[in-house]
Amino acid sequence: MSIAVRFEEVSKEYRPSRARYASVRTELSALLRWLVRRRRPSGGPLERRRALDRLSFEVQAGEAFAIIGPNGAGKTTALKLMARISLPSAGRIRLCGRVGALIEVGAGIHPELTGRENIWLYGRFVGMTRAALAQRFDEIVDFCELAYVLDEPVKTYSTGMQLRLGFAVASHVDPDILVVDEALAVGDAAFQAKCSERMAHLLRLGRTLVLVSHNLSAVEALCARGLLLIEGRARSLGPVHQVVRDYIDWVDAQHHSAARPAGALLRGGGLVLTRLTAHALDGDERYVFRPGEGIEVRLTVQAETAIRSPWFSLGVSDGRPGALIMCSMLERAEAFDLAPGEHQLLCRLPALPLAPRAYELWLSVRDASGAVDILDWSCVGSIRIVDPSPPSGPGALSAPWMYGPVRVPFEWSKG
Amino acid sequence: MAAQGAVGGGAHLPELVIEGTRSPTTRAALAELWLHRGLVLAFAIRDVKVKYKQAILGVAWAVVQPLGLLVLFTLLVARAVTIRETDVPYPAFALSALIPWLFLQNAVVAGTGALLADSALVRKIYFPREAPILGAVMATAIEFWIGVGLYLALAPFVGARLGPTAILVVPLFVLCALLAAGVSVALGALNVYYRDVRYVLPFAVQLWMFASPVVYPLSTVPPRWQVLYVTLNPAAGLLDAFGRSLASGMPPEPMLLGLSTVTTVAVGWIGYRLFKWLEPAFADVI
Repeated sequence: MSIAVRFEEVSKEYRPSRARYASVRTELSALLRWLVRRRRPSGGPLERRRALDRLSFEVQAGEAFAIIGPNGAGKTTALKLMARISLPSAGRIRLCGRVGALIEVGAGIHPELTGRENIWLYGRFVGMTRAALAQRFDEIVDFCELAYVLDEPVKTYSTGMQLRLGFAVASHVDPDILVVDEALAVGDAAFQAKCSERMAHLLRLGRTLVLVSHNLSAVEALCARGLLLIEGRARSLGPVHQVVRDYIDWVDAQHHSAARPAGALLRGGGLVLTRLTAHALDGDERYVFRPGEGIEVRLTVQAETAIRSPWFSLGVSDGRPGALIMCSMLERAEAFDLAPGEHQLLCRLPALPLAPRAYELWLSVRDASGAVDILDWSCVGSIRIVDPSPPSGPGALSAPWMYGPVRVPFEWSKG
Repeated sequence: MAAQGAVGGGAHLPELVIEGTRSPTTRAALAELWLHRGLVLAFAIRDVKVKYKQAILGVAWAVVQPLGLLVLFTLLVARAVTIRETDVPYPAFALSALIPWLFLQNAVVAGTGALLADSALVRKIYFPREAPILGAVMATAIEFWIGVGLYLALAPFVGARLGPTAILVVPLFVLCALLAAGVSVALGALNVYYRDVRYVLPFAVQLWMFASPVVYPLSTVPPRWQVLYVTLNPAAGLLDAFGRSLASGMPPEPMLLGLSTVTTVAVGWIGYRLFKWLEPAFADVI
């Protein structure tokens, strides 16, 4: 298998802010001061901000590769270097094949021009030839579902429509290496699903995908290998499950405490969620489970006043909009009145038939009417499903994204 | 900077090696630009479309500007200027100078601002960064050719002596475009770093106009200063050549046009080198 992207000891430094938006006046006065005092205006050498520090990694052709890490770790910088938008300060990058970047799509769309004109222009901007555009024009229009307003100026479009237009064009460039920033994760649920499907489609065609995301579940679902960047350095590199694991451990270590959710997690309407823990059915506090294993979620809440029948809803999400599993009191018409003071609530799921990856726990609480949120729908914790014996049939599915998030028993037979 | 490597890394795909430490040679930069010529055209087409989209008069604006200035100049200046050797009526001279001058002026203003106007693209997509600048200059060229059409239509009425030399307008235009492109890429690159450029530009362009033979013919400049004049201000030699070949029906002065050509090529080359030297950090600074 050949290599699509190769970083060799790549560093990227940014000049300090003094150099940004400088004016001739500040430069001249700096020059004058230098002439008079014979030293640099800031008194010492200018400190450069190092966004990437001797980073080396390889992406195989045809694989889906994830770059994860906290904010400011250099993920977007790495993408921009790959897309040739920005150049490395040191080191070397080798690219085999044409790179297409989905970094904030639609940046070149002009509001005064019509959708049709914009498809032609934006297509050229992102690197399509006239012939390729002519050939794929109808496909692009189909994809963005904007045929009915194609000859209206884009300024009359909604934000979502403009986004669809940009993504439709940018994702039809058909590059050998597709570089995607998580900024893509905007737009409505249907559009996000479409984006994911488009990326999966390109993977099936054998294209290489490099994805930057904070959404660990999406990363695990789509990618086979990954890179964890911390402060511009490679902290972990390898199979995506391991890399995600390392990232979660790093986040844990940053938070010091073993019981992860601590302090007031959510507050509102006289109710405070102070603690949320996950447990195995035998009561052990755990955040890692096997597929199909049961789980108990324990909430500690502080009622500041008496609260009559608050409706709790707990959801399990894989990072995509909406919950995979919803455990709501509203469905059962059972709620408990809370007297002022501390209470513990338990939500028990005898089995969690989910595929191995990270999941988020979400919570909301509604007031007695059942219509108004006391606590908004928010992410309050996370768990991981890990499979000690990954599926290993003769044709184990080639990519993680091919496994659905929910695992139910199934059997094939000949009728 | 990026260079198309000859090393075959993959089975079939060419390998591209990106290094940030060196600026590309002019030859490599021009080759890369040639690969993206379609993109330059796309920028030009967009600029033209956007410009005329909401203008009621549309293309007529390209005619209004030179005509308005022609009337103004004729009323205010004609009597103060003595036209010795060209001996064509002042309006013929003024229009023959205004059309290339307005192209130069509008192209430099549009070209200098083009990169910042498209800063969103610069931060998101790779392309040779001179593409939007050259596209803006190209878009302005349309107005020049509309202006030439206007000139040809008006020539009998303003007393121009149209002759076979009028065909020289084509190579002269190429030189003008090169001058506009050279100045634009240089100022456009500086504009990324120093936003003052944007504020100084309108004033500087006005000064440049009065320093060029637009209102007055070159012949009003004492002959011993003319050589220095056209060397320092390449626009002067070009505009004079336009006047001679379009208004007077005479061939350009070879010496003056030659000097201006040399300076024009030098401006183009220096501007492009400056641009390529500053280019690597554009996406980080813009």
